[in-house]
Amino acid sequence: MIRLRHLLLLLVAMTLSVAAWAQVTFTVEAPLLVSLNERVQVQFSVNKEPESDRTFQAPSFEGFNIIAGPAISTGMNVQWINGHQTSSYNRTYTYILKPQSAGKHTIAPASIVVDGKKYTTKSLAIEVIDESVARGQQQSASSNNNNPKQSSGRGASNSAAESNSISSDDIFIVLRTSKSEVYKGEALTATLMLYTRVGYPDIRGVDLPIFNDFWTQEIPSQSERSRAEYNGRVYDTYRLANYIVAPQRTGDLSITPAELDVLIRVVTHDNSPRSAFHSSRHESLVSRKLRSAPITIKVKEFPEGAPTSFSGAVGEFSMACTAPDETMTANSSNELTLTITGSGNLKFITAPRLHLPDSFEVYDTKITDNLRTSTSGASGSITYSYPFVARAAGQYVIEPLVFSYFDLETKQYKSLSTERFTVTVTSDGSVSASDDAGATYREYGGRMKQLDRDIRFIHTDKLQSHPFSLFIFSPIYWLILVLLLSLYIVVYVVMRKRIRENRNIVARRMRQADKVAIQRLRMAQRSMEQDEHHAFYGEMLRALWGYISDKFNIPVSNLTKETIREELYRRGVSASDAELFCQIISRCDEAQYAPSVEGDMREVYADAVSVISKIESVVKR
Amino acid sequence: MRIDNILKVLLLFVTISTADVSRASTLETEAQGEWQRALEAYSAKEYAVACEAFERVAELGYASEELYYNLANAYFKLGVGGEKPFNSGELGRAILNYRRALRLDPTMEDAQYNLDLAVDYTNDAEPLPRGVLSTMWSSLSGMMTSNGWAILSVILFALTLLLVLVYLLSQRIYLRKVAFFIAILSLVLFLFATIFSLSERSLFENSTMAVVICGDVASVHASPDNSSKVIRQPSQGVTVDVLREHGEWSEIEFVDGEKGWIMTTTIERI
Repeated sequence: MIRLRHLLLLLVAMTLSVAAWAQVTFTVEAPLLVSLNERVQVQFSVNKEPESDRTFQAPSFEGFNIIAGPAISTGMNVQWINGHQTSSYNRTYTYILKPQSAGKHTIAPASIVVDGKKYTTKSLAIEVIDESVARGQQQSASSNNNNPKQSSGRGASNSAAESNSISSDDIFIVLRTSKSEVYKGEALTATLMLYTRVGYPDIRGVDLPIFNDFWTQEIPSQSERSRAEYNGRVYDTYRLANYIVAPQRTGDLSITPAELDVLIRVVTHDNSPRSAFHSSRHESLVSRKLRSAPITIKVKEFPEGAPTSFSGAVGEFSMACTAPDETMTANSSNELTLTITGSGNLKFITAPRLHLPDSFEVYDTKITDNLRTSTSGASGSITYSYPFVARAAGQYVIEPLVFSYFDLETKQYKSLSTERFTVTVTSDGSVSASDDAGATYREYGGRMKQLDRDIRFIHTDKLQSHPFSLFIFSPIYWLILVLLLSLYIVVYVVMRKRIRENRNIVARRMRQADKVAIQRLRMAQRSMEQDEHHAFYGEMLRALWGYISDKFNIPVSNLTKETIREELYRRGVSASDAELFCQIISRCDEAQYAPSVEGDMREVYADAVSVISKIESVVKR
Repeated sequence: MRIDNILKVLLLFVTISTADVSRASTLETEAQGEWQRALEAYSAKEYAVACEAFERVAELGYASEELYYNLANAYFKLGVGGEKPFNSGELGRAILNYRRALRLDPTMEDAQYNLDLAVDYTNDAEPLPRGVLSTMWSSLSGMMTSNGWAILSVILFALTLLLVLVYLLSQRIYLRKVAFFIAILSLVLFLFATIFSLSERSLFENSTMAVVICGDVASVHASPDNSSKVIRQPSQGVTVDVLREHGEWSEIEFVDGEKGWIMTTTIERI
């Protein structure tokens, strides 16, 4: 029912706003946190003229004493901009209240009637704190961790009397971080707050906190005023700066404190009787140096078992991939795009490695990012595009891209993977493309090397079971040599007689040349007596040729009449005898197949014998 | 390598006759088992297991070029397959073992091929150019192992003696002449084979070569202390010549002639 009524109200309000071009709002405004001895100003305001001030119904203000009010004020503002008129109206009802007791007091809704319609404010809970109690506690209790202490505040002031009225508890700055223990790369927010009970000071110099070993980004924000309780006291707070930081290394990292030079306006009431008639207010400026407490952030190492594709990404991510075309022509450029979306240290993640077949040429990865930084951390997307050119036709499988990150929610590593792509590269018709594919050169160790070769396979023979030793000049080596040598000696000794004879065989043959010739001549003589002239001349030739061959150790095959003549002449035989010897050979050659002549045979025989005996006498051994 | 096989039979005969036969047989069984395990693991691409098993065989004292070659292959495959290639010194170990295999058998073509391939991954410098004669000599001498040359020298020695006998005993002058010249040639070849064998042996025995074994790069200092200037940062697998040692440091020389000091723990002798 209530919900229905609200809905109805909303509907009515909407129709009204359309009709009257301005929605009627009726609001209450009051500090939510006050101290017991503070006066509270509660303001009800409506932006359209009510039918009558009497229709305004103030709440009962339980727990508060009304000191003053309601004070009614009206404001009107009419504007013409480019001929367009806008006007605003404001009527406020102000009460000054004083809390009766500490605790939480609720200001009940007020109501007012505008254009015959009743509007109510929301109820407002105001917390009242008894500072005198808190201060007693604070003195006994040791200051807590985040308690800001001003180290040089008091000393900086030169007027003790004036500064006495402002204690270090009245104004200080605090640097707050959202976490005190993080993983490397995990983002946290740091906020610099000013706490004051003496009004907003005049800030003269600011030394912002220094985040060493942190990636830092300041988030611009309005220095809005609010109230907060600190150690049982109520302060006005102002946000001076807001950062989002992410540690870049592990260990205990300390943040250099911020420092603020401020001038504080101090109002002193002169209560001396001398000035009773013109109770004067003295305003003076007190300078102070405010410093935030040092903070140490503990940065933890990632747990064990990081996947190989992990490169320090922390947060929560998702991955999308646009596959390259399924078919492409060789030597045409193509692209694979990977988008990582999520929140975390996106700025610091490295592009996942793309493994392409060797015949693909990969170019530098293009990175485009679309990042937003807010108080909740960096989020957005990063797009990696991997341009490549396939050099050779064929069907290839592109291995999946894997991106791993550390999930802070579950404190576990998570891996995202694309699917496995199959691409078909069609030939572009050029011959060189396929030639190039055979040998791919990559740079390794500063040198271009052909790397698509592979080592040869292992040897799978049976294991050889001998220890390696060197043979040369080993005992066995010498043994074999000695054995061979002794074998040689044995053979030599056994055959020594034959060797000795063999050495003389040539000399013997020379010595026996005449004997052999005489033997042959004798056989020729026998043929002559039997009148077989063919056999006679044959025997004669054999005797003559053989004699020269044996005598001068020249093979018969190497002999001609010319060589015989030369050889005889060289050995000191007279030219006429040499000539005669050759003539006899010629005569025998001619006569061998000619008709027989009795006298010729005897004549040739006699000549041969005489010539040989002449040569024999001239040629000495 | 038929010559080698003959030699192996010969050596085997001598070793078995001297070694404790029963102890050798249990070692033999274990080594053969590990060898089989390693071969299967390698085929199944479980390179870490293969490395471990091959290392075990080596621990048992089976130093053969095949073992070192296979071990090197296993290390190379183990390293190249990792996400970050060779991040724990696998390349260095692979190159070390290829070099060990080649030290035992300089003619092992597969090992040379794989070594050349592995060296491409290091930042090893180009060696200083050498003279033609020196190159010719080493390439000729490297055609066979020391043992191969030694066996050849024995054979040439026997041939020389045989030819001398032929010369002495033959009655045919032509044969005598041929035998005489071949005998002289054979004697010269015998001398060369012996010298080659000795030169290969000196390479084998007095090997001062070492390979850098480290995770990524090692630092070479100008003098043997850590505060001295780092003059070079060789990657794992770079082959150096160890000149001398001084405490924890070794003076090394790179193939391009640069000298420096390195921690002895970061290098391993071949």
